[in-house]
Amino acid sequence: MKIADYEPIVGRSTIEELKLLATRLSGKVVQNVNSTFIGGGVAEILSRMTPLLVELGVDARWNVIKGSEEFFQVTKKFHNALHGRAEKILAQDFSLFLETSERNIEELSLYGDIIFVHDPQPVALVKRKKELGKKWVWRCHIDLSKPNEEVWNFLKPFVVEYDAAVFSAPAFSRELPIRQFLIPPSIDPLSDKNRELSSETIDSVLSKYGIPRDKPIITQVSRFDYLKDPAGVIKAFELVRKSIDSRLILVGGTASDDPESNKVLAEVKERAAGNPDIHILSDPPSTDIEINALQRASTVIVQKSLREGFALTVSEALWKAKPVVASAIGGIPLQVKNKYTGLLVHGIEGTAYALRQLLTNPEYARWLGENGREHVRHNFLITRHLRDYLLLFLSVDHPGDVIYV
Amino acid sequence: MDGIENCTRRAAITWLGENWPDITIPLAVFLFALIATFWLRRLAYDYVDKWAQRVKWQGHKIFREATKTPSTLWALIISAALALAVSSAPSEWENPAGKGLWTLFFFSLTLCGLTLARRFISLYGDRFKAPHPATVLAWNVARIVIIVVAILILLDIWGAPTSPILLVVAVAALVAALAFRDSFPNLLAWFQLNASGQVKVGDYIKLGAGEEGYVAEISWRNTLIRALDESTVLIANSKLVQSTVINYGRPLKKAKEPFRFYTRMHLKELTGLRARNLRELADALKTVPDSVVYYHTHHFLEEHHYLAPEPANDFAPWVSDALGEEVLGERLASIDTFEFTSLEALRERLVSIMEEYLSQGSNLRDAAEGREFHFVKSVSVISPTPFVAHDLREFVEALRKISLGSLYFHIFESRLRLRKGLNDFSAWLENALEEKELADKIARLDPYTYTLEGLRSSLIQLIEKRIK
Repeated sequence: MKIADYEPIVGRSTIEELKLLATRLSGKVVQNVNSTFIGGGVAEILSRMTPLLVELGVDARWNVIKGSEEFFQVTKKFHNALHGRAEKILAQDFSLFLETSERNIEELSLYGDIIFVHDPQPVALVKRKKELGKKWVWRCHIDLSKPNEEVWNFLKPFVVEYDAAVFSAPAFSRELPIRQFLIPPSIDPLSDKNRELSSETIDSVLSKYGIPRDKPIITQVSRFDYLKDPAGVIKAFELVRKSIDSRLILVGGTASDDPESNKVLAEVKERAAGNPDIHILSDPPSTDIEINALQRASTVIVQKSLREGFALTVSEALWKAKPVVASAIGGIPLQVKNKYTGLLVHGIEGTAYALRQLLTNPEYARWLGENGREHVRHNFLITRHLRDYLLLFLSVDHPGDVIYV
Repeated sequence: MDGIENCTRRAAITWLGENWPDITIPLAVFLFALIATFWLRRLAYDYVDKWAQRVKWQGHKIFREATKTPSTLWALIISAALALAVSSAPSEWENPAGKGLWTLFFFSLTLCGLTLARRFISLYGDRFKAPHPATVLAWNVARIVIIVVAILILLDIWGAPTSPILLVVAVAALVAALAFRDSFPNLLAWFQLNASGQVKVGDYIKLGAGEEGYVAEISWRNTLIRALDESTVLIANSKLVQSTVINYGRPLKKAKEPFRFYTRMHLKELTGLRARNLRELADALKTVPDSVVYYHTHHFLEEHHYLAPEPANDFAPWVSDALGEEVLGERLASIDTFEFTSLEALRERLVSIMEEYLSQGSNLRDAAEGREFHFVKSVSVISPTPFVAHDLREFVEALRKISLGSLYFHIFESRLRLRKGLNDFSAWLENALEEKELADKIARLDPYTYTLEGLRSSLIQLIEKRIK
């Protein structure tokens, strides 16, 4: 994608501002460091944003650390533990993390004026800060609101060495003695997940999955995980169906690292058995374009999670101007301003009530959807993310609240 | 000797006696033709004089001066040619003499044509204020054409082959046409622009393709436009005449100093402070930096600028939704931010309402876990944009183009956060343009009740109305 491709979506002045900020960073090298070039959300964001930053004129580069399979198993456990999941962390896990970090500290060339380290895997690289100087920023993509204290206390001494940390939502942050910035993630309006689709494509996806368009469609896109509460969605749907004839689509995969995932799917299938209006789509995993088509074919989109990270699926739905009913947790309240850009709920009955409200008031639903699309256009597209990164790179050199550049 | 002389005289008299018609007829024809051509010349001049007087032709004097002597010569040549035609001179004489006359005629015609071309090009060049290169080009083209045509005619008179020369001329003309294929339509368009007077230097124009600005210069090839970002745009004249052009006319009153548009982008910085209940909220609000107060009373405007801004600040909805204190929420929401000219005063009002509520001793509860209030600080990055306005026209056109961040900066941020107490637009209109009435109208506009695009439209309407 080229930066000019986004101009028809966000407007010329937005692109001009990005270029203006980029000129103020000329001569600076921004070195991104994470653990992998492919796979995972961070690599996906970097693979989209780095070329755009370079096109804007920022000397942005990207390096990865090296590690054995065991090292990455340990960091996976760290990741889950920081998210608050119960994990058994052994003493040897910590020592393996330190050993691999030491090797990377010795081997990895660190040349950036701003060294932008993503997530916990390469966090220990900051040990070279005293020797190299430069500006160090730690980008945390994880929700640290309820971390496993043992893992957090192990990582914290590294984090506090940075000049600044970046979190995706206020609630995800910790009290730290360093500057902390708030930069939510974003969606790419030109990716397969979000780009405009023809009605033929949408129809062909629906016919592939055998879903008729004879009644309103309610959809939830998420992994089959207790925390996404698919069973709760079915209960809410059953309440809605008492008065409004409609269909429910639950679409998502199972996580290979989560043994509970298949159990959840089996339970959901059992609960939905015998109801032809409930469509469970899990195998084979749907492609990005198929999920895009299913969202576009929906009347209302639900995200009734019990625990969430940022939940960008909400922004994806809003970008398609769909009315959204979502739980008021994690990053969702940043995306949905209750009664302005969607409806926030707290339980199954509330979800059912909100769904009924939207299905019986299509004008109101359309108004929320259109507002949601505008909200995403200005706050959750990749161009806003680029702008925040450019502002971050400028801010680390300026301590004040008002910076003239 | 006398004998020989007498003999010759006698022979001449005899020859004259025998051939007198051969002399007198051509002589008579010559004289008659001379009188006739002079008479026709006089008639022609009279006619041209009257016509020139009627249409007030400026080239009349030039025409008379340039043709006065040559036309006398042409009358003599035509008369001589007619005399020669009726004479019984031997053909070996008649032929070269005729050719000589024609050569003389065309030679003089060429000289006259050159003088006319030179003086007319100079006259009309001055009249249309044509740039020097255009006059030189036109003169060179005319000179080449006249000389080439004259040479071809003379060669034809003397029977020399003209085909190879015609070929050379055709090739040269082709080369010239190729070389000037771009310039020629521009030159024609330049004549059209000058003759119609639709676009003049100093006009503010907007083209269909999006270019706009004041016309700084119209040359015979291009038109130079000075754009709002102080860059210059060169547009080929031929393109200009084909475009849809909105002409706003002459420049308006110039400001004492230009208005430079700035833009402001902001980054959110987490303070690490959070409040679980009203007591913690009020206590933290007393000590947080101004940039935190500013963020929580303004970010809704920017992030939800497409909505008519409903909640005036972040505290009101949090108190209502997370603490269930709807009465307090309503009081906080009803604070009119526009009333305040400083963040300190706004902070004091917020805190005093919270303290008053707390002093009533209501049983206040904590927010549910995960619904705490997080204090966020706004870090503003301010940068000049390329847009500069020297008068109201440029100002309103720039206003259509600037980002919402720029509009936001000049209306909200400079007034309250940068402690100016007045928005930048009103300040400039009053001080640099002496537009006090317009400045007051804009200053009275409560920007907190508009969406940002709605605010932009209202400002544009006010200024357009003033320009008209």
